[in-house]
Amino acid sequence: MLAKWGGKDTSFLDWYRNTITPAKANFFPPMEEMFSFRKDREGYRIELPPSDEGKQLIFGIRPCDARALAILDMTFKDAYEDPYYLSKRNNAVLIGLGCIKPYDSCFCTSLGISPAESTDVDLMLTDIGDQFLIEEITQKGKELIARASGVEDATEADEARAKEAKESSYNKVARKIETEDIKEKLLPNFDNQDYWERVAAKCLSCGICTFLCPTCFCFDISDELVKNQGERFRCWDSCAFPIYTKMPMENPRVEKWRRVRQRVYHKYQFYPMNFGVIACTGCGRCIRQCPVNWDITQALNSLPAKVKAEN
Amino acid sequence: MNYLPTKNRDMEQRLRDEAKTLLEQGRVDYVIGFEPGSLKLTTTPLITNNKDDVNRLVINPFIVNNLSVYLTEVKGRVGIVAKGCDSRSIVSLIQDKQVAREDIIIIGIPCPGLIDLKKVERLLGKDRDELDDITRDGDRVVITVDGQRKEFPITEVLYDNCLGCEFPTPQEYDILLGESTPLVTDLAASRQKIEMLERMSRQQRWEFWEEEFSRCIRCYACRNVCPACFCERCFVEESEPQWVLPVPRWQDNLIFQVVRNVHVAGRCTDCGECERACPVNIPLRSLSKKTYDLVDELFHYTSGIDKNAPPLMTAYEYTDTQDFIR
Repeated sequence: MLAKWGGKDTSFLDWYRNTITPAKANFFPPMEEMFSFRKDREGYRIELPPSDEGKQLIFGIRPCDARALAILDMTFKDAYEDPYYLSKRNNAVLIGLGCIKPYDSCFCTSLGISPAESTDVDLMLTDIGDQFLIEEITQKGKELIARASGVEDATEADEARAKEAKESSYNKVARKIETEDIKEKLLPNFDNQDYWERVAAKCLSCGICTFLCPTCFCFDISDELVKNQGERFRCWDSCAFPIYTKMPMENPRVEKWRRVRQRVYHKYQFYPMNFGVIACTGCGRCIRQCPVNWDITQALNSLPAKVKAEN
Repeated sequence: MNYLPTKNRDMEQRLRDEAKTLLEQGRVDYVIGFEPGSLKLTTTPLITNNKDDVNRLVINPFIVNNLSVYLTEVKGRVGIVAKGCDSRSIVSLIQDKQVAREDIIIIGIPCPGLIDLKKVERLLGKDRDELDDITRDGDRVVITVDGQRKEFPITEVLYDNCLGCEFPTPQEYDILLGESTPLVTDLAASRQKIEMLERMSRQQRWEFWEEEFSRCIRCYACRNVCPACFCERCFVEESEPQWVLPVPRWQDNLIFQVVRNVHVAGRCTDCGECERACPVNIPLRSLSKKTYDLVDELFHYTSGIDKNAPPLMTAYEYTDTQDFIR
């Protein structure tokens, strides 16, 4: 998992696999206080929490998770400005690290992502044995490197080794989906209840896949009130939960197959309709961490060919 | 991949035959079992009404899920694959009148214990998808990694709850696939984490759980994999009154888990699913097994053994221990 670095122990540099929780949690944490309130004679007084001025340097973010932040920006920055997210996002430096050994659940290459290349970060590192090859991606990254010591100019041999490492990593991603094919099959299968019921049967409606998803962003808001004062929090919510949106209204997706379908369509149909990109980066956490091994790539790959047109 | 000694393969074939017959003869509407998972060394639940699917059914040391969790959801008569602990969960659901005995055909598996991949990962310093193969051979396990065979005592890689299992062979079943297998247990190892907690001072324990529950993200996987958690609406989701906030603060997380443990006391069969499902590795079995042991100590009750007995928490005896009332 991502943890605060004490400044000395460098053993984490040997950790060559991705984290359980994505870096999303550093910008959109599992819970955060939105404001506190107090009622007195004149009414309610609202106080914002101290603004998050701490700067974050995230070391080792993988290309899938960095792309996911760019996808989250579309919701939290472009569609509306979410101050809680943006205060952290604008105060962070991302140092990417290419994967050496993708998991067997990874399928980033099917989503146009290379496991060891990224332009969604400030600096991108490639492990070339006993050194990292560093690519300066943004101005922020350049400034950071300018102040660093121990950085040498890369040689042609270094670059060749990095190229080889990237290719080797790319070729290790074995799990595949065909996004073009899926795009054609999704809408015609929306009402294919039989298919979604079969696919959804083993889902247990827990929140692992959505909570650990680097692009899922649903949240629930709740107040804690003690006497005349309290705090308003927001915390992660999941469309997999039967009580999702139950508080303001009813959950329109009472049956489990509708909830399972929603997760797939939100990522592969609705987000593309709204923002022009698939809201999945193939990080594979939803497959790897699922207690029943529910596998989104299987659900997508086994979509029936165009449902017979009714005349 | 070959996870299985021949005996298991015979058992697997018999399972497929039995499942097919059940569906063909219309004795069940659905069969619930395990099929190979999409990741290395995993299985996944198979819930099907199609007799052609039964050839995918498997039995191996990775059939981790307690499938009885699906019984309250799958409609009609069901044939279900059950290990010892799972069959006890089914009995417990019958006691609680969540399912009717006559609607279920229990296909019992004498379970020799399941392999905990997290233990294997720690033992070898490799992740599960970096291993070539794992084969069990009696009280030994052979793990092939980078083409090299490594052998360990099976007790090093079995789940903690399997190491302390009292009933590996289902006592309640309609079909039993094979003879009961002698179980390799290691009771000390099975209770190691709990004993570590018992040795701590209250303050130390409090700090331990504070740290553990600070990681909880309230995904509710522990609850949703648990067959004993069959409430249609969980107390954590009540908003009037609001018992705990949905906000994953460690205190709220701890209260959620403590209340959950009390709710499943006398229903929990120590199947270990809560701990296995937890994505942030909170040692949940240290709470559930402690509760399980307390149920035994205080009420001399073992869950899921007698389908005709009233559920522990709904029955009252004058001889019941009362010293918790102070």
